[in-house]
This record gives sequence, structure tokens and C-alpha cells, in this order.
Amino acid sequence: MLDCDQYLLPKSLDEAFGFLETHGDAAQIVAGATDLLPWAREGRAGDVHIPVLIDITRIPELNGVALEGNRLRLGAATVFQKFLKDSVLREHAPVMPHVAVWFADDQLRQSATIGGNLVNASPAADGTPGLMALDAELVLHSRTGGERRVNVTDFPTGPSFSVLNNGELIVAVEFDSAAEYGASFEKVGHRRSLVISTVCVATVLKLDEVGQNFEDVRIALAGVGPVPVRLSECEEMLSGKTVTAALIDAAAHLPIDRVQSRTRQDYRREVVVSFVRRGIVEALASIGCDVGPFETQELETANG
Amino acid sequence: MADLNISMTVNGRAVEKSAAAGSRLLDFIRNDLNLTGTKEGCGAGECGTCSVFVDGVLVKSCMVPVAKADGAEIETVEGLAPRRQMTPVQRAFHKTGASQCGYCIPGMVMAASATLRENPQADLEEIKQGLGGNICRCTGYQKIFEAVELARDVINGKVPETALDEDEVGESFIGANVRRLDAPSKVTGALRYAGDMVVPTMLHLQVLRSPHAHALIKSIDTSDAEAMAGVEAVVTAADIPGEDGYGVFVHDQPTLATDKVRYVGEAIAAVAAETEALARDAVKAIKIEYEELPAVFDPHEAMSGGPILHDYAQDNVTYHVPIRKGDVEKGFAEADVIVEQDYDTQPIEHAYLEPEAGLAYEEADGTITIHSPSQNITHHRHAASRILGMPVNKIRMIMSPVGGGFGGKEDMHYQCFLALAALKSGRPVRYVFTREESIIASAKRHGFKIRYKMGLKKNGRITATEMYMVSDGGAYGCSTEGVMRKSAILAAGPYDIPNVKVDTIGVYTNNTPAGAMRAFGALQSEFSTESHLDICAEKLGLDPFEIRRINMMQDGAITHTRQKLGSVSIGQVLDEAEKVSGWESGAPTVRGPVRKDLGGDGNREPCTLVPRHTTTASPEEEVA
Repeated sequence: MLDCDQYLLPKSLDEAFGFLETHGDAAQIVAGATDLLPWAREGRAGDVHIPVLIDITRIPELNGVALEGNRLRLGAATVFQKFLKDSVLREHAPVMPHVAVWFADDQLRQSATIGGNLVNASPAADGTPGLMALDAELVLHSRTGGERRVNVTDFPTGPSFSVLNNGELIVAVEFDSAAEYGASFEKVGHRRSLVISTVCVATVLKLDEVGQNFEDVRIALAGVGPVPVRLSECEEMLSGKTVTAALIDAAAHLPIDRVQSRTRQDYRREVVVSFVRRGIVEALASIGCDVGPFETQELETANG
Repeated sequence: MADLNISMTVNGRAVEKSAAAGSRLLDFIRNDLNLTGTKEGCGAGECGTCSVFVDGVLVKSCMVPVAKADGAEIETVEGLAPRRQMTPVQRAFHKTGASQCGYCIPGMVMAASATLRENPQADLEEIKQGLGGNICRCTGYQKIFEAVELARDVINGKVPETALDEDEVGESFIGANVRRLDAPSKVTGALRYAGDMVVPTMLHLQVLRSPHAHALIKSIDTSDAEAMAGVEAVVTAADIPGEDGYGVFVHDQPTLATDKVRYVGEAIAAVAAETEALARDAVKAIKIEYEELPAVFDPHEAMSGGPILHDYAQDNVTYHVPIRKGDVEKGFAEADVIVEQDYDTQPIEHAYLEPEAGLAYEEADGTITIHSPSQNITHHRHAASRILGMPVNKIRMIMSPVGGGFGGKEDMHYQCFLALAALKSGRPVRYVFTREESIIASAKRHGFKIRYKMGLKKNGRITATEMYMVSDGGAYGCSTEGVMRKSAILAAGPYDIPNVKVDTIGVYTNNTPAGAMRAFGALQSEFSTESHLDICAEKLGLDPFEIRRINMMQDGAITHTRQKLGSVSIGQVLDEAEKVSGWESGAPTVRGPVRKDLGGDGNREPCTLVPRHTTTASPEEEVA
């Protein structure tokens, strides 16, 4: 069970940094609380006493979605359900609705935030590979260091660890609009809803003007190693090449050695290949490009 | 824990109260506002029994710190309709029989209401997705989906409101749609389960459980816990006045562990205190010295010289049922083919949405009253009389609404120490398991290891069946004896087999005890028998239906336990199953690539997990 002496809801960044300074190590930041509350239970952390919880979800800078030119900025306290419901986000971050439908359930998506998903730094985070495929930049802020920017790919450093310093917050996430891009998200876990990814793959891609060649391909993979990763080997193989089933199939087989998980490696390797392949095919389909049949037969199972 | 001042609107009424700073919205609604229609099934955001609207958005209140909801407008299941009235969604749940145990139902009603508020035209797929965060363990969801579709059609005027009225019953109730009497109390959240009950001066119980699978208890020191202000009673085995030991068949399980513990999660001491948090702190203040013993987790190892759990069972065998009919060796000698195969089944958690809970208090005349969702109150009453050393007429066992049992609430795992705490403190005491406690402490379905040997003629006739079934009964007997019997009785299936040898052996291990669960041992043996027949059909080139028809019992058959059967319906069952499944006849080996029985006419599509987000749908059309 969770227990605290104070639950603070700062209304500004300045107030939040003030609380952090005042309470130092006694304070812990909380956003959606959907990781914190299940963590403070038997079998995990058990009964937890945190002297001061600082809830950052009411800080204006951490909320809202803004499009300036071609650049989208969303507050770190944006909840996952918003990726499905906000028309600006749906248009300019086309991979995120696919991520969101696989994330927890409708109700938890109303609480869980994108910033929390990043800071939690789970190897199986769903939001992080989505943002990686969008080439997102994270805007971090602290009172002493001011603002700094980190590419999302460099943010997680290991399970539960990131480059975020003490006293620093993720304020916002920024990326260039991917409005014209195709996108997909593949995920498998033990169930359909409320499940942690065993493997997930986020794909964002664009074809050239002719509509036959890959121009920009970005694929991110999570659940198979300590941190989510971009699959540069696949991206490089595909970029500039003509879309064919054979090429996609070859690219899908490249990341097999990325699987470094502690368990079920053989299974995950099989899934990675079919997910990368299917992720590219579905992302292409979302912009009206039909790849045609593959030589290798796709195995249809209950787990997709 | 310091307090916060919370002001909010709840079901249209202004609320101003203080709340513990770290508490959850769920705690505030249930404990401070006493609105217990909102349930706690897991406390971890998984089950959806706690769904409420916060400013019109449905959330899981166990995942919301109450401070976040300060200033918000809250709507709980109690606020959906005016008192003594029901919304179309609630009436539809009543009509279709969507509420069974009822524990998931307030959350389901909330999720259904949210789905139809968001899109009053929601199709079945959207309804399923809208209910995706809510778990039901009784219905299989079908009746719930029917209810939401009915409510939708009534709301949209597609069907008249009279569709929500009770169907008329003709001459017979058989085949009629009869509504449950208790459904209105379940769909409105009015029904109080044991964990919802509140009585004045009530204390809260928490339990110290073993962290070891097998250990001697060298000493128990409760003095620090007892010295804490607000702790009113600490109960250990030393407080048991009567003859201890409970179990559905053999009374081998202590109410609270005495000299040793035999599984992780076994109860050792219980604390009754003014608050749950205080009781938890007091549990941590109890000091126990253990001497760890070697533990055994595999039933075969336990039977062959593993560590001994109970002195009276030196071979660790709880119960062995040997059944012999004819001569299997002779039958195997006559066979053209012998098929051998091992089958393993796993232990299974019942996962009823209502975790175990109870409320006990002493009446003025010395009677002890115990409310709990017990599936076996009369048996529990007599056992409690013996353990508490009180005449049976001074024991009142009240069966509170059972929020799902499935056999898992047949054991008296906590009622007696709860009663002891009430007797010792002189105060009413309530105990509510956490989901984690429910999983580690109470009995599961038996895992079986089955060695199967079957002899058959080339024409498919079975000449002999031999089944050697070893079952993991865990640390205590619970229902193992009965499960072994039923498993043995039904083992070889509804087939007329001249030579049968069946052994079911329930074994003590240091795993969580195994007890009753739906089908009570039949599931495990039938899984192996029916799987085995399919394998035999494949080996002999026979249609799986055919091999069963060749061997099935007929009217008047005598089973391998010498029961004479008047009428036997397996022939009709097979005919009907073959017809409605669109079965393609032939041996499994010659079946073509197209299966008409999977997704064919009249059959549902095979299960797949498909992505739900489509880029074409507008946000308004989409329900994730």
C-alpha cells in the first residue's frame, strides 16, 4: 500500500521546482500514478512510504498539444487516450493511435501519461518505440540546468533508468509532423487488454513522389532487450529502394540478433521477424500501398 | 499519514471531507463515503470492478490518488439512476441475466454506460472494446454483450422499452427467460458483500503469512505488536480453545500454523486493529524465528523419499484411489496397437472477482456470528464449533453474497481466526484479502501428471485402459480426497472398456494447497482421455467421432466403478456435435487444408487478436 505525508499538486513549473528543492530526496514525482500504485503492493515493493509526492499533471507547460509550422509539441502529461481522440495528434503523429489502442485499456489510458511511460523506462514500454519512430525530441527542464533536449532514442539507459537527472522533469515531447507518413504498431503479450508487451514494433514510413520507393523508414523495437531500439539496419536496407515483398522480407530478417531478453528468446526472434515484416506491410497499406503476396507463409495464430 | 481536505461533487451531492494524503479515490468512495457499489477486485488496475466517472471520464478508481479528484465531479454506480430506479443499461443487465455473482457488475455497468454515452450507436465490436478493461469470471461475457446491445437498441428507440420487461412465463419455467431476483441489487451496486459490510466499532484484521515453503516455527513474539496503541487483539495458534484442524475431508490444516509452516502464504498470526494500516504495521512488528526445512514441489519427488510434510503421511500421499476392472495385462496382450502418452495439467487460480472477506462479531448471548462468502456453511459451522470449543448452537455462519466461488470458497481458510479475533477483542472484526493474498493463500485447481496407456484393436475397439494419475495436492488436504475420487470415477470417460486400471494419487507438496474447482478433478482426467482418443484415431486412421462411437457406452452399461447407467446420451451428444460443428469426416491425418468446422457456416471465426485502430475512422466513430 502507498502512504505519503503530503501530496502536492503544483500549478506551475516554478512551484514544482520549489517543492523539489524544499523536499529533496523525500520527494518523488508522480504523473498518472498507474505505475506507482500497482508497484506499491505485495510481491513488488509492498507497503511504501513516500514522504512527499509531487503530482505534475496540473502544470500548464506539461499539458496541451501545439502545432507550430511543421513541429508538434505535446505536454509530457498528455494521457494516452488523447492520441486516439485529439485530431491534431491523430493527423501528425499517425503511429500513436496504433500504440494507444494496444496500451492498457480505455480507462487507464485516461490516467497514464506519455511522460510517465518514458521515465518509467520499461524495456517493454509501448509509448517509447512509437516516439522513437517519430524521431521525437524530449524537452527536459530543471531549475539549475534550465532546458535541454535529448533525442528519445538516447533517453532510456536501462530498465527503470534514463538520462533524466535528479530535479529534472520531462516537460514536453517534440517531433516533426509525420502527417503524410504511413504507420503501424504491432504488439503481442499474454492477453489483448492490460498487457505488457512481449514484443512490440512501431513503424513510420514514407514513399517517394513516384510512390514506389521507400524514402524514409523508421522502425523501433521494444520488449526484447534492456531498452527499446531503432532498427537502423532495416531502415538503411530499405531506404531509397523499390518496395518489394522480397526486400521487406530480407529486411525483416536482419534484426534477429537484437533479441537479448532474459526469457523466451527463440519465440521472440520468430515474432520480431514477422512483426517487422507485417509492420512495414501495414504501414504501407495505411498510405494505400499494397505490397502483394509474400513467399513465406505468415502463420496466423491466436497471438497474431 | 497526513490528511488532505477534499471537496468534490459525488452523484450530484457536495462532499467535503478530509482524506489520508496517500489514499486512493477508491478508498475515499468506499470507506469515507460508504458507497460500496464500487468494488475492489485487484487494486492494481486490472479488473475494472472500481470503475467510476471523474468529470465524465471513466477511470479505475484504484489507480487514482484521491488528491487528483479534488474538485472533480464524481459519478458512481449508485448515481446512475435515481433511487429505486434503474437506467436502461441496468434494466438490460437484469433482463438478459448478465449479472451472476454480481461482483464485476457495477464496473461492467459503468463501462457499458461509458461506451454508450460515447457512442449511442456502438456496434458489438466497440462494445467489446469499451468493456476491455473489465473482467468477468462467471458469464463468459456473452450475456453482458447481449445486455449492452439491448440497452443500446432501447436507448435508440430501435426496440420498444417493453423489451426490458420480464418475459411472460407460460406453463413451464423450463426454457423461459426468468430474471434473477437479486439482479437489481447487483446492477445498482446496492448489494453488500462481506468486504462491504460496516458495523460500529469494527476493527480491521491483517494476517502474518509464511515467507517460507517449509520451515519449523521456533518462536513467535507478538509483544511489540500487542503493545501498539490501537491494536486490540493478536491471535496465534496458542489462542485456539478447541481441537484445531480443518479441511473438507481430512482435518489436517491448522487455523493458524503451530509448529511449522508448509507453504508460502500460510497464515501464522492475525492482528485486529483500529485501522487496516495499523494492523499491517502491527503484523510487521511480530517476530518469528524459523528453521528452514528442505521443501518439495514435485509430487513424484514427494512420493519417492522427498521431505515429509505431515507425520501421519510418511509417503506424502494424501489419498490414493485404485480402481481395477478386468485384467489390463490381458487386454494389452489382445491389442493390435498400444498407445502411450503423458499428460500434464497445471494448477489454476479461480480468480473470482471478490477476494475472500469476512465479518465476525460476538452477540450479547455469547453467540459468535461469522459472515463470509462460504460455499459450505453447514460444514464450516460444525468445524468452527470444534475448533472454537463452542457448542454448535453458539456458532452462526452466515453466507454473505458470494462474488464468485467456483469451488475456491469451500475451504474455511480464515473464518476461525477471524472469529477468534472478535472473541478476543470483544469487537466486530472485518477481514478483506488483497488479491495477492487470495492468490497465494487459498486453494487452487489440482495440477495432474497423467501417464496414459491404451490398447486397441485395429478397428478402434479399446481392449484396455491404464491411467496413472499423480496429483499435486499442495501442503494440505482441502478437497483432495474428493477430487481424487471423482477423477478416478470419471477417468476412462463414457466408454465401454473391458479392462480398466486407474490410480489417482493426491500427494502432499510444499506448493499452495489444491482444492475444489469447477468439475472437481474430472477436467484433468477427461482432458487426457479425450486427447488420447484423438491420438489413437490418428494412429488407426479413424475419424475421431467414429472411434468414440465404436467404444461408447450404451443404455444399461456398467461403469468401471460398477455403476449401472439407465440411459446413456453420449451417442446423441456426438451426433449433435458432429452436425452443428460442420465436422469434416475422416481421420485427422487425411483432413484437407480447408476446415469447414473452423469459421464455416454456423461456426464462429477462430480467435485472433487483430489491431483495432483504423486510420480511416474519425475520432467520433472510433472507440478504442
